[in-house]
Amino acid sequence: MELTNGATKAGDWRNYERVLLPPIRNLHKLEVYENEANGYNRLRDVLENDDWTPESVTNEVKASNLRGRGGAGFPTGLKWSFMPDPDDRPRYLACNADESEPGTFKDRQIMEYNPHLMFEGILIAGYAMQLDACYVYIRGEYADWIRHMEAQLQKAYDKGYVGDNIMGTDFSMDIVLHKGAGAYICGEETSLMESLEGKRGYPRYKPPFPAQKGLWASPTTINNVETLAHAPLIIENGGEWFANTGAEAHPGPILYGISGHVNRPGVYEYPTGMLITDLIDEVAQGVIDDKGIKAVVPGGCSVPPLRGDGIDGVTMDSESLQEAGSMLGTGGMLILDEDTDMVSYLRRVTHFYQHESCGQCTPCREGTGWLERIVTRIDEGEGNMRDLDLLLDLCDQMEGRTICAFADAAAWPVRNTVKRFREDFEAKCKPSVHPTGADLSAAGATAA
Amino acid sequence: MSHFDIERPIVKLPEQQPEQQIPDEELVWTDEEQERIEERKAKYPDPKSAIMDLLWMAQEKYDYLPPEAIRLCADTLDMDYARAYGVATFYTQYYKEEKGKFVLDVCTCFSCQMMGGYDILHYLEEKLGIHKGETTDDGLFTVEEVECLGCCGSAPMMQVTNGPYVHNLTKDKVDALLDDLKDGNMPPFVSVTLPQDEDEMGGNRRSDVEATETYQTPPRSEAVK
Ligand SMILES: Cc1cc2nc3c(=O)[nH]c(=O)nc-3n(C[C@H](O)[C@H](O)[C@H](O)COP(=O)(O)O)c2cc1C
Ligand code: SF4
Ligand code: FES
Repeated sequence: MELTNGATKAGDWRNYERVLLPPIRNLHKLEVYENEANGYNRLRDVLENDDWTPESVTNEVKASNLRGRGGAGFPTGLKWSFMPDPDDRPRYLACNADESEPGTFKDRQIMEYNPHLMFEGILIAGYAMQLDACYVYIRGEYADWIRHMEAQLQKAYDKGYVGDNIMGTDFSMDIVLHKGAGAYICGEETSLMESLEGKRGYPRYKPPFPAQKGLWASPTTINNVETLAHAPLIIENGGEWFANTGAEAHPGPILYGISGHVNRPGVYEYPTGMLITDLIDEVAQGVIDDKGIKAVVPGGCSVPPLRGDGIDGVTMDSESLQEAGSMLGTGGMLILDEDTDMVSYLRRVTHFYQHESCGQCTPCREGTGWLERIVTRIDEGEGNMRDLDLLLDLCDQMEGRTICAFADAAAWPVRNTVKRFREDFEAKCKPSVHPTGADLSAAGATAA
Repeated sequence: MSHFDIERPIVKLPEQQPEQQIPDEELVWTDEEQERIEERKAKYPDPKSAIMDLLWMAQEKYDYLPPEAIRLCADTLDMDYARAYGVATFYTQYYKEEKGKFVLDVCTCFSCQMMGGYDILHYLEEKLGIHKGETTDDGLFTVEEVECLGCCGSAPMMQVTNGPYVHNLTKDKVDALLDDLKDGNMPPFVSVTLPQDEDEMGGNRRSDVEATETYQTPPRSEAVK
């Protein structure tokens, strides 16, 4: 078979040395982070060295070509440069630790094993954008990890790394941990801001964009945990190092969360641009019982699943995945073996969206309900062939017609699962009333 | 046919004039709680933003949030009851009605579906003699089906009463968990070690956590054919 993309872009990944989660015992403790991981020295450098100005920090992040790890893949340096010049309003960062995209479980590993890297990244971002405070929005289910981080954050406060006049300079910034209470939609950036303000998590219309009018109507930037954790590494090793790691158009180290029918699931740190087949066969040590692969969902439940026979040569970066008809999303991969029923799969996925829609927009609120009902009907053997077209038509009615991207995220997996695994769906639908090859001319004649 | 039983969406209207569950004299904050409230209010430019924290505190105090508990939070922050009620009802982790002493939130989403989440859910339902969403007669257990808990590598998994996660579930593990809970022992915090840590540094990287588990080869779901 002709390879679309071909070789890995991750270089010599077998000898890759981890930087986000380096193998250092007790790295989550402040002393260890300081002594063995160069901890808070990147921040010190930025604050004390006159060569670093807010602009040059932002430019270094731009040069690194870091793209957001929260799902949308937006260039981080560019996002930072959208912040307006300081005026009399406070300025905020919201760190998105909501991590509710099904199939995604990587940010939690940073919060547990290397929380200070996240804090240091937040402070560096705060210096670059001249911010007053950062609110870390953590999903309420992570209660144990919130307690863990509260303890570590207090230590950083006690050491003078966070708060007023950090390290004796005139830079001051607070970090506040905010506990959510169970709502997927609060991962969407404008919903997250509403929730932080103490309201129902209804996404806002854009514009105004958060950089103009965000938290409490002040300029705000939203970044994912992993995105911010990259900032100290970029300052230490240079944007060029980052840009030269992994896939050129989507570079850097990345945390892959691999789950599903594989022998060794888990979170792995490697460069972007890994071959999907390498990740499955070598990193995750193959599919359970050496079965074939039916489908791979490369980046959380919202991205279109790829067929198992179409993953050869596809690499984990936005370019290659786009060519293959999917997206990098959050980098949380689900691998499904050849015996998986894709109708069952889609039924549960549509149930998720039906349950989590915030209900503001009619196409989304009603559409997600209908998607679930129709797929359930097919799964129960009650569906008709025409339901497949009805599903695709519904997707058309939902995409691009709502306040936030949730409705698109609900429609993409439906559209692509139905299109790519149509045989599974047809097998469960009632046979067509007109068997293929039936002579319809007689029926037409009597009606006339 | 698949074996799971997702409900059609139904909208349940709340009781319009529910009886007060918490007596007036208990509807006050202790000094410690008051201190914590002031601390949280100071973290936000608008003190009303602390409503989510207060609802959490009220839930810890009263185990769930009947209207009078929500009203207490609203009054404390000087905000409208309707707004506080709106917040309490938007988020699934706030319990608007009384639940069992232990709430077993089984993840059946996405990865967990494929790795046996429904097997665990159905096993629990059978063992406890209740359906999901219901509470056992002795008031000990409530079983619920929840969406992804962000732990898909150790699927199937569950969370106990908005607290600890229990990973890599099997029927034996569920039996042991129920026995422990009946004895009043909550499961400990478990650190799931990274595969690369196991290869490079012998697994557990935290000296302050005793209970660890590895990401394991999960079973294949029996409920999804
Ligand atoms: C429905 C929906 C859910 C989202 N959930 C999350 C989430 O749980 N975590 C996250 O980091 N980003 C999530 N995002 C993406 C955020 O809106 C936002 O793009 C991201 O946090 C920006 O950070 P980044 O630029 O660092 O990636 C979600 C987006 C949508 C539309
Ligand atoms: S698209 Fe859906 S989730 Fe987003 S605002 Fe509209 S109803 Fe809410
Ligand atoms: S799917 Fe169950 S924890 Fe993510």
